[in-house]
Amino acid sequence: MSDFHELIKSFPKIREYVRDFFVYGFKTRNDFKDKSPRTYDNQRRRLESWLAPYVRKDYVPGGFPLSLAIDSNLLDTNPLFQVWKTKSFTDNDIILHFFILDLLQDGKMLSAEEITDCLLTEYGALFDIQTVRRKCNAYAREGLLHKQKIKKSVFFSLDNTLTDWLKTNENIADMLSFFQMAGNFGIIANELSEHLDCQNQAFRVKHSFFVHTLEEEILFEILDAMHKKKALKLEIKSSKREMVTTAVCIPLQIFTSARSGRRFLCGYLESSKRFSCFRLDTIKKTLPLEITENYDELLTKLIRNHRQLWGVSFQGTERHHSDKITMTIRALEPTENYIADRLRREGRGGTVTKIARNTYQYEIEVFDCNEMLPWIRTFIGRILSFHCTAKSVENRFYADLHVMYRMYGIEEDCADDNTEPKRS
Amino acid sequence: MEIFSEIYSCYYRVLRHLLCSRNPLTIKDIYGRICQEGFEESLLSIIPKLEDGTWNLFTRDGELYLSKLSPLFTVPLSDLEKSYLKALLSDPRIRLFLGKEELGTLRQMLADVPPLWEQQQFFCYDQFADGDPFQGEAYQHNFRLLLKAQKKRQYVDIDYHSPKGKRVHHYYVPIRLEYSVKNDKFRVLALEQRRQRRDKLEILNIDRIENARLTDRTLVSPVDINALIRDSYYKEPLKLRITDQRNALERAMLHFANYEKNTVKIDENTYECLIYYNQHMETELLIEVMSFGPMLTVIGNEKFLDNLKKRLYKQKEIDSKNL
Repeated sequence: MSDFHELIKSFPKIREYVRDFFVYGFKTRNDFKDKSPRTYDNQRRRLESWLAPYVRKDYVPGGFPLSLAIDSNLLDTNPLFQVWKTKSFTDNDIILHFFILDLLQDGKMLSAEEITDCLLTEYGALFDIQTVRRKCNAYAREGLLHKQKIKKSVFFSLDNTLTDWLKTNENIADMLSFFQMAGNFGIIANELSEHLDCQNQAFRVKHSFFVHTLEEEILFEILDAMHKKKALKLEIKSSKREMVTTAVCIPLQIFTSARSGRRFLCGYLESSKRFSCFRLDTIKKTLPLEITENYDELLTKLIRNHRQLWGVSFQGTERHHSDKITMTIRALEPTENYIADRLRREGRGGTVTKIARNTYQYEIEVFDCNEMLPWIRTFIGRILSFHCTAKSVENRFYADLHVMYRMYGIEEDCADDNTEPKRS
Repeated sequence: MEIFSEIYSCYYRVLRHLLCSRNPLTIKDIYGRICQEGFEESLLSIIPKLEDGTWNLFTRDGELYLSKLSPLFTVPLSDLEKSYLKALLSDPRIRLFLGKEELGTLRQMLADVPPLWEQQQFFCYDQFADGDPFQGEAYQHNFRLLLKAQKKRQYVDIDYHSPKGKRVHHYYVPIRLEYSVKNDKFRVLALEQRRQRRDKLEILNIDRIENARLTDRTLVSPVDINALIRDSYYKEPLKLRITDQRNALERAMLHFANYEKNTVKIDENTYECLIYYNQHMETELLIEVMSFGPMLTVIGNEKFLDNLKKRLYKQKEIDSKNL
């Protein structure tokens, strides 16, 4: 039996486990059917080790589900950042990391040969030149070292000016404390905070969805393709079905939801001549393809389409170009003025008109009105009328409403539950 | 550039701290540091490597471990970190933290670095339209003053106009500054000083602060903010039943991921989820639950259920009139 190792080589493998434990929190060994029992046990043990303070173990018939008790209201950091700090390394890696960087602290420039000699004379560490050169080159690629060719020799050096400046600036520590909780690539702000030996003790973030940090590597690859205006081949694993599919798109923008934390890649599909969105948490792999000639033109077109997007869908169920929703709301004045404010604040560009005392009308035209239903439902209790040019959306709204009436025992005036309710 | 790299790993960080120690370390000191900063099982991996000299980073002097590195050892920033900082320069919220001069210096130091992302590469489609005025001078002034007071546990004299139009004037100690992604607003979680009664946790919108002034008084002992928040949770959590149709389970689990919750599988297709919340979260949570329509069933607590039913009754009443 092989030894258990706390650290791992590859991030994608652990990503799904963490997501399942975090999001669902009720899965047992039997729910991970496509993984071997030993793989499950090892991954579970790793998670327990990395996230010890947050792990909750319960007992249910059929197993001991593991869940993560994470309440973002109570935390100064995202516990899932720990998962990013688990990359395995060799003995040589860690020794060379500290000795090479220490050797170059005073700003001097040394060749790989000189570094190899100094490692032996100053630290008693014997390495061959090839190993040292490989590490120096790798660190030059990561930006930790500067690589400079003078005549025929290559020299390495480092520059701590920026690190020193950041360390002495308290405002930078505050800035990183905040952005690790509320922004893209919070993990990098967190690493920088640790780099500068500071911790967040000032900020909390409401509506922070910690699980999405697991998508940062994919996001990084997508942004890189976007910078280079390259098409991407995506490997997608649907959350509903376990099957893996592929898609080729030109990545144009990242759509984000402040309400759910979800992020999507919005791209142009050459094959169907359409824009389409892919949830980042379903994208498993990306492969950059060729440069797109008309990238800027497509991006401009997408931005023009923003005003008719409610969420991430570019087409409704009835295949109209767009559909219109008209909703009339009751809001008593002045005590319920906040309702009209909500329509303006949350209505994403829809028009809000006061049509009578205590009555407001909200109108908007969007590609897919289906996406609006969750928001529309938040006004239940005050909806005087609701119309949509996509009748299926209107019907679904009222059908769902009647199901809710039945679920909660709200008395039905209609004798026949199967009759579609009449509307204004 | 890689995000998942050993240079950002937990082990490297622990070792850096041990190696930058100015004093010789005993194995007990090393144990202590690893337990404090490492993972639960890190001791098992790190200690043998140090003891048998595989990681020959210390000089041994009897029982003591002396670092071979200079105490001023500093790791330079990687391109990924620089590129991240460069991207932050375009975020309007950065002005809350850095003054013009600091921004200028940072911009200059990162002049040759490409940003990790650009603002226009992201499109947030559902953020509320009335976010805070981060560029406003008065707003920035109040934000910085509250942050300063938070660090020193200093009382602040605050003039505030509440959402209900009331003008409030009290002394508060800021405990945390809370940002809402959805509202794009900052609020301050603050203890309100009350005569002859225990201080009370209040939430104030920074944008609604008319005037804020630091006082000389400070709060002597630190505040356990989590205990205060936990105390504010209702004893009975919200109890939801989820039938896994139209992908409702995953949607609900992700949607409520920012609450403390506990989910149990009842049968093949049914799940029960407990969500803990307080009075401040009540309306928002009710609205969120309503947005799921019939995909979720509220089965407790009574108060929450009553509030939901009240809204449905009201809607039913409107529907009946419309018939």
